[in-house]
Amino acid sequence: MKVPNLTIVLLAAFLPVSSAQAHHAFGAEFDPNRPLLIKGEVIKVEWVNPHAWIHVAREMEDGTTESWMVEGGTPNTLLRRGITRDSLKPGIYLVVDGYQSKDRSNRANGRNITYADGTTLFLGSSGTGAPRDGADPRDRPR
Amino acid sequence: MSAVIGCSAPDTSSIADYETSLDVKQLMHYVLEPAADIVWDSAGTIATLEGVEDLAPTTDEGWFRVQHAAAVVSESGNLLLMPGRAKDDDWREISLGLVSTGKELMTAAEQQNADAIFDLGGQLYNVCVACHQRYWVENDQ
Repeated sequence: MKVPNLTIVLLAAFLPVSSAQAHHAFGAEFDPNRPLLIKGEVIKVEWVNPHAWIHVAREMEDGTTESWMVEGGTPNTLLRRGITRDSLKPGIYLVVDGYQSKDRSNRANGRNITYADGTTLFLGSSGTGAPRDGADPRDRPR
Repeated sequence: MSAVIGCSAPDTSSIADYETSLDVKQLMHYVLEPAADIVWDSAGTIATLEGVEDLAPTTDEGWFRVQHAAAVVSESGNLLLMPGRAKDDDWREISLGLVSTGKELMTAAEQQNADAIFDLGGQLYNVCVACHQRYWVENDQ
């Protein structure tokens, strides 16, 4: 889905995330075989339980942007890792790696975020069945 | 009359056995999840380029709705402990965690304490994850 301008991206970003669809096992919604990298400006941050959601105007190779929603862990766990509401504001530039939703919509489960200064922090939730890809510091080595 | 009742063994012959017609998934779907969603949707912020929206209730009615949802969360723990649903000691511990978290949420809602609702919302999710990890996630791939 390519969109030609930021206006549509912003409109899409205002669609709400219901918590009913937000608490689930990883495998119920996301595809471990579709890792992806999202780079772009943060346009909306839902600092809510049970998962924080970051909306990003993803930069595409052809110069357009797409609105993507990235699921993170609970705000309390993000705070313990150093990700705060103040450090996650609309307007900042982020790189997020994660896994796309099974329905191929512009939704992803976030694993790591990297800030403009190069700081990388774990964004995801532990214990949801996400792939053991090394992002979660709590994953025990096999 | 009360003295008679106080001295007699209670007659339970007319009390029906538990009728847990809802299985655990249905209990989650129809009872616990809608209540948890109300709790989670009642605290936190949504920030956009235009500004920040605080999700905390702004009226007594709104706070009562959170208190009601917290009561449902708490009693859901007891529903999970009923014969026909309870599985083992871990199940009992997690269910009692739901009861205590729900009670704390009720108190926070009564005090209209949005920060506490937010923190306890995270605690509620941890109880959910503990249960899902133990009994559900592995079968949900």
